[in-house]
Amino acid sequence: MAKVQVLNVAVLDNPSPFGNPFQFEITFECMEDLPEDLEWKIIYVGSAESEEYDQTLDSVLVGPVPAGRHMFVFQADAPNTGLIPESDAVGVTVALITCTYNGQEFIRIGYYVNNEYTDPELRENPPIKPDYTQLQRNILASNPRVTRFHINWDGCSDKMEDSENVDPSPNSSSSSSMVPSSCLAGKALPVGLLSGNSMDCL
Amino acid sequence: MKLLKPSWVSHNGKPIFSVDIHPDGTKFATGGQGEDSGKVVIWNMAPVLREEDEKNVNIPKMLCQMDNHLACVNCVRWSNTGLYLASGGDDKLVMVWKRAAFIGPSTVFGSSSKLANVEQWRCVTILRNHTGDVMDVAWSPHDVWLASCSVDNTIVIWNARKFPEIVASLKGHTGLVKGLTWDPVGKYIASQADDHSLKVWRTMDWQQETNITKPFNECGGTTHVLRLSWSPDGQYLVSAHAMNNSGPTAQIIERDGWKTNMDFVGHRKAVTVVKFNPKIFKKKQRNGSSPKPSCPYCCCAVGSKDRSLSVWLTSLKRPLVVIHDLFDKSIMDISWTLNGLGILVCSMDGTVAYLNFSQDELGDPLNEDEKNAIHQNIYGKSLAITTEAQLSTTIIENPEMLKYQQERQRAEQANHRMTHEAQAHKLTSVVNGESLEDIRKNLLKKQVETRTADGRRRITPLCIAQLDTGDFSPALFNSVPILPGSASQLTSQLSSDSNTATSNLDPLSTPLGSKASSLNTTAMKSNLLLTTSTKMEPMKALDSRFTERSKVMPGVTISMAGLTPKALDVEKRKKGRPRKMDAKMMMPVSHQTFQQVRPVPVSTEPPVYLEVENDVSAVSGAKLSQLRCSREGREWDTLLPSRVITAAGSSDVVAVACEDRMLSVFSACGRRLLPAILLPAPMSALHCAGFYVMALTACATLSVWDVQKQSAVVKNESLQTILSGTECTVSQSLLTQQGVPVIGLSNGKSYCFNSSLETWNLIADKQDSLVQCADFKNCISSQDAPVSQGPLALTQGHNLNAGRLASRLSSTPHHLQHGMTLVFLENQLASALTLRSSTEYHYWLLIYARFLVTEGSDYRLRELCKDLLGPVHKSAGSAWEPTTLGLRKRDLLRELLPVIGQNLRFQRLFTEYQDQLELLGNK
Repeated sequence: MAKVQVLNVAVLDNPSPFGNPFQFEITFECMEDLPEDLEWKIIYVGSAESEEYDQTLDSVLVGPVPAGRHMFVFQADAPNTGLIPESDAVGVTVALITCTYNGQEFIRIGYYVNNEYTDPELRENPPIKPDYTQLQRNILASNPRVTRFHINWDGCSDKMEDSENVDPSPNSSSSSSMVPSSCLAGKALPVGLLSGNSMDCL
Repeated sequence: MKLLKPSWVSHNGKPIFSVDIHPDGTKFATGGQGEDSGKVVIWNMAPVLREEDEKNVNIPKMLCQMDNHLACVNCVRWSNTGLYLASGGDDKLVMVWKRAAFIGPSTVFGSSSKLANVEQWRCVTILRNHTGDVMDVAWSPHDVWLASCSVDNTIVIWNARKFPEIVASLKGHTGLVKGLTWDPVGKYIASQADDHSLKVWRTMDWQQETNITKPFNECGGTTHVLRLSWSPDGQYLVSAHAMNNSGPTAQIIERDGWKTNMDFVGHRKAVTVVKFNPKIFKKKQRNGSSPKPSCPYCCCAVGSKDRSLSVWLTSLKRPLVVIHDLFDKSIMDISWTLNGLGILVCSMDGTVAYLNFSQDELGDPLNEDEKNAIHQNIYGKSLAITTEAQLSTTIIENPEMLKYQQERQRAEQANHRMTHEAQAHKLTSVVNGESLEDIRKNLLKKQVETRTADGRRRITPLCIAQLDTGDFSPALFNSVPILPGSASQLTSQLSSDSNTATSNLDPLSTPLGSKASSLNTTAMKSNLLLTTSTKMEPMKALDSRFTERSKVMPGVTISMAGLTPKALDVEKRKKGRPRKMDAKMMMPVSHQTFQQVRPVPVSTEPPVYLEVENDVSAVSGAKLSQLRCSREGREWDTLLPSRVITAAGSSDVVAVACEDRMLSVFSACGRRLLPAILLPAPMSALHCAGFYVMALTACATLSVWDVQKQSAVVKNESLQTILSGTECTVSQSLLTQQGVPVIGLSNGKSYCFNSSLETWNLIADKQDSLVQCADFKNCISSQDAPVSQGPLALTQGHNLNAGRLASRLSSTPHHLQHGMTLVFLENQLASALTLRSSTEYHYWLLIYARFLVTEGSDYRLRELCKDLLGPVHKSAGSAWEPTTLGLRKRDLLRELLPVIGQNLRFQRLFTEYQDQLELLGNK
């Protein structure tokens, strides 16, 4: 069983203008004192088409982590717009929070992110070149997709045991109407470093 | 009989493999397949029992769900106390859960179910050992052990008081082990496996008692589980899937000779689970019917792959009831309520059924007394003595007692409330009274963010709650290692083989008793360090000591193997001693460094160092040695005409023994207190404690002097008495603060010299089976600090494991166990008295009293009280001493009375002495 359980992730400052930093308040619980730091990352999926547009917005070390319940706010700058394909600027994409211990990823939390113009005029007739100043980012905070991986907590061995896949909400595909199911299916998978694990996002 | 299928008890349609009702009957657990993991759910029992509760939306149905198992959960079992829940699953793990009181409702993050967990159950231990799916888990009677069996063909017995310690791994099955059951009296555990066998194992030595194969030879195919069960009277063991004449049966195995003559027949497919009702019943007496004395009988539920359930009474030839088509798939598990009238059944089809019987149908359940009486009849005094239940019917006879009992209850409740409040407090006001909400608002600003050396951001998370996993702290005695800092008396070793374990006891002193604690208790330890540096860091010296010493003192022993003791002794001495000297001489500069490390971490006393430098200066051909002592920054030194062999000190005196057999004694400030004492033989071990100096010479004689009174406490007493006839050597010696010398021998026995009786008294024997079998764990109150520092604890050391073997309760008959514990405790008391160790006396007296109270030893308790109270009226002829070891006996009695009051059986004793004490107090 994982030594670290993520209890809650609260998305702060949401919705917000596209250029605002991401803020996640993460509450987690640790079963026993961890000798090493946890490494948290926020990955912004620039384009559903290819992982080459994935941006790691930031990574932080969190520690020391004694046994108990802890919380922190993970703030990361907004994605570099220059790295986002223009065609993918508006619409639904994914932001991922991952956590690794000793280089092994044990949890991946995915959020759908909807970027759209607040101005109805622009919404109707979006400019060809996206105007990021006018874009609003809306993270679908109520529907995190959590994937947990079974890792070796006691050593830094790179051996991965069988993965645990918690896809908690079988009904969510119907509930989230804004998800363009065709383009995101399977997308989240190659983002990660661990090809051995599956994350059936949808 | 009523039958209910609560549709809300489900794992979203996934199979439910196991069900277990909490001992208090208010909730039950189910285990099975979750979405993509194993799932354990704890449900509220009330909506199952009462329709109005089921309809009441304010009454939660699900209390908690745990998705922590990585794969399907095959078994969930509550401990007998109900404090813990154990679950085993396909992920090869056994998890032990405990309710966490301080955390409010929460959901599983990311889970689809937005239902909050009403109760928080947290995994406190993960037991990893199995290499395959865990199929069944079972708590032993009294929750001493937890057993788990697996498809890896093994059964693992875990120490439930000290997880994750493994007591035993039972190997012998050649197929997947799919069911476990403990003998209700704890003597055996039985397992059933796919290898067509049922094995019974002894808990005494964890060896196989019997292997039953005949009824299983015909068994074909596999059943998912083979949950067998032992009858509550212990007389019958009923297997799951067995075959008789190609019909599936549940085989009845008699405890007496493991005979297999009977079985439960009738199921059309394999029996998956058998579960005995925890109650023993007797026939319901109807008015008017002839009062025929009927035999008590048991009740057993059998579930099968044929989806039907049968309930049997051992007094009937046919089943009481058979229910077909209760489920769509095989029955997987059955659990009875503790009152024996309800039963929960779960099935592979993911549903659960509840059956409720009336007493008319099953009979009158025997109460605990009657059940115990049966156990006692069969097995002697039962282990399942539940004093509380027995006494619930006792009438409180006097107001004092009533008051006391009520106070006790109130105190318990208050205690309970306090812990709750404290926990609630912990949750709401986390840091400096700030609420969680306040913290959250400012978390980003407040959290500490640093940069690591390579420039990365590092956030220190804010701890908002501690984990409350306290209950699994290991048993008292195991958890108190005798640290170098806690030894109460300085000791020195004469034997070279003792520098592993016993050397821990070495050099340090600690306040013993209230008097000593205020003093600067310092003690010094002679160390023979071969080093070129004149001064050493204390810790370094400590470290190196263990290695150095073993080189330096090979075979410095006192041995009296047969011959004329003295002569041989000296010879042996010489053999040993010169080698040490040789070693020293080889070193260009040899120093002896003595150091004193602060006794107790909390004490404010500065350490005292003794340092000896031999051959420091040559004055006209004579070599002098220097003794230097530093205490609280003040130093003094003195010169000695001969080489120093050993030195020791206490807060009051410093003693130095030289090569020329002279013993010099100095005051704490370096004043010579006595002219040099000429010893009959070279010094072997020297100790100081308070104003006492103890000398053990190479010719095996012992002397203790009281420097303050200038008198001999022990005069040249030969060790021949304790050494003769044995091949052993002196492995340890120490002097208590009260001037009682203690000699530990290599055979594990320790003696102290009683100067008033002038006898050697045995105070510890590591081979003593009484020590190992005495079971007084229940009598140790959590409030008592374990005494690990007294001389008694020191000499007995780790060996005193509070009944290491005793937890194998069943291996010895109860009365024997009881006797052994009694003898052991009395030994402890007497030893503490002889050693004049008041803290230890007090400690053991309380344990002894608790033991007498729980075991109901009336006479002994009365005698104890009588002695403590003494004569009420002063009479000249009375030899009664009002104090013992500086403790007032009547104060002790006052302390014991609440203990006595705990057992209502002793209420008269309680009242009697309470009154007398009050009377005396008024005078």
